[in-house]
Amino acid sequence: MQTWDMDLEELKEEETSLPGSKLKTELLTVNMGPQHPATHGVLRVEIKTDSEVVAQAIPHIGYLHRCMEKHCEAIDYRGILPFVDRLDYLASMSQELTYSMAVEKMLGTEVPRRATVIRMIISEMQRIASHLMAFGTYALDLGAFSPFLYAFDEREKILTLFEDISGARLLYNYFWIGGVWNDLTDKNVEYIKEFLDNFEPELVKYDRLVSQNRIFQERTMGVGTLSLADAHSFGATGPVLRGSGSAWDLRKVDPYLFYNEVEFDVPVGEGQRGSEIGDCYNRYYVRMLEMVESVKIIRQSLKLLEPGPTLGKVSKVIKIPKGETYTRTECPRGELGIHLVSHGEKTPYRLKVKSPCFTHTSILPHIAPGQMIADFVASIGSIDIVLGEVDR
Amino acid sequence: MKEYCMRSGLEMYNDLISSINSAVTNANASLISPGEEEVGDSSVLVNPESIFEVMSFLKPLYNGLQVISGVDYTEYIEVCYFLAHFDPENPKDVMIKTRLKDRQDPRLNSISSLYLAANWQERECYDMLGVSFNNHPDHRRILCPDDWEGFPLRRDYKVQEVYRGMKVNPENKMNRDDQLFEDNKQKGNEADLIAWALSKGL
Repeated sequence: MQTWDMDLEELKEEETSLPGSKLKTELLTVNMGPQHPATHGVLRVEIKTDSEVVAQAIPHIGYLHRCMEKHCEAIDYRGILPFVDRLDYLASMSQELTYSMAVEKMLGTEVPRRATVIRMIISEMQRIASHLMAFGTYALDLGAFSPFLYAFDEREKILTLFEDISGARLLYNYFWIGGVWNDLTDKNVEYIKEFLDNFEPELVKYDRLVSQNRIFQERTMGVGTLSLADAHSFGATGPVLRGSGSAWDLRKVDPYLFYNEVEFDVPVGEGQRGSEIGDCYNRYYVRMLEMVESVKIIRQSLKLLEPGPTLGKVSKVIKIPKGETYTRTECPRGELGIHLVSHGEKTPYRLKVKSPCFTHTSILPHIAPGQMIADFVASIGSIDIVLGEVDR
Repeated sequence: MKEYCMRSGLEMYNDLISSINSAVTNANASLISPGEEEVGDSSVLVNPESIFEVMSFLKPLYNGLQVISGVDYTEYIEVCYFLAHFDPENPKDVMIKTRLKDRQDPRLNSISSLYLAANWQERECYDMLGVSFNNHPDHRRILCPDDWEGFPLRRDYKVQEVYRGMKVNPENKMNRDDQLFEDNKQKGNEADLIAWALSKGL
């Protein structure tokens, strides 16, 4: 069960002595990373290989550890927002949402209706941007270059919108405690509508270009299979859990914002197109289907937009009464949780971030043994990690 | 899901606590809920010696471990386990806490044989707060280097001065501007603050 605990001596005898041969072979240790294009950041995986097959994979993390949790103990509640941005830098808006929701829950702040709808639209746009990045880089990992360019073309349009409303392209600081910083103008709304109209045909194009591609299917189907029971036991969430066949989505199960007022489906990996439930293809395909759902949600949320204020009443100096909370939301990569402990001061007593990427990285040693090295690259890409969030 | 939020789900908590107490002797499970002036979520406090037994009892009820978090309250170190049942039909989650009085060598039994997620979560708890876990398959630091000294998230943590012959936080690389800004702000010296900001071209 626990592959990292595997006795390598035993393994050597069993796996490496070729039948009918007196020749003995040894396991070779290869370091993948920390500077490696396929590890999506500074992840180092120590791989023990038997020829081209991975016998054991040990991830080493911490290269991007920035002591975020320790820093937060000395910074006031508003000052933490930019730090939260830098966790998962490909989905900053979603991270800000979780943190502001945690603080608002403790303060009992009421967020104006318009601000909540804007939050919903923007965080779904962020989900599309993040999934596009996952899609593009995943194809790149598997040797296809052009999908990356198509994905970045569309992602660029979303970043242009974010730049327009927040002034920044990657780390926004746009969701403030109590609402959002800037209002969406009519021009922005038109821009979003136009984007969605153009984006839907693009999705069909991606489907034909990559999802139905024979080479891509051969590379991902039946590779890196994670069973549902293991996914639960690892605490996997997001596309990784849904790819393993569970319809768990926090937006549906425990609706926050106005997710209970819009209609959408939860895509689940069902072994589409002859794949195996829980393999790389399913995790990838769930992301592609989620983008379709996000488009649906944004279209419906745009109709919910009514004129009104965008920032609720929050005192100038935020002091949270004594207490603690655990708030979680559905981010593009899984559930992000914030465990916030307050002692009635201007700074949190403790802020712990439950990072979905950290959880998902711990799955790697479990699915690696027995894979070819090239398939292992496909497995890393399919769980879609961002090291900023793994190391914090 | 809202069940563990305070006030709305106290009944569910009381049921859970009585079933833990009847299933595990010495569990001493009790409810922690926010007081008059306090806010937030409730949780269940259990005896640290019987954490493994409590988790074995809860495993069939909650199929996933989300995170293990720890807080140093100086008198004791608190370790929080966030369990969830990842079933769309019957979602529920709970916060289980335990308190360790011994700051020199806080110890708990590992639950990595129950939940696969516990392996890395316990390693992080050890790395950050110095809580050791008995019977852990791979008891190492995870985010800090293996030979780092001290546990960063303890309240009395002091950064080591030298690491592998390198000075940690050398004078010439410290950021003094933030400190200057804070000093001036505390003095309420706005004129100085503005002059300082102008000199920096802000």
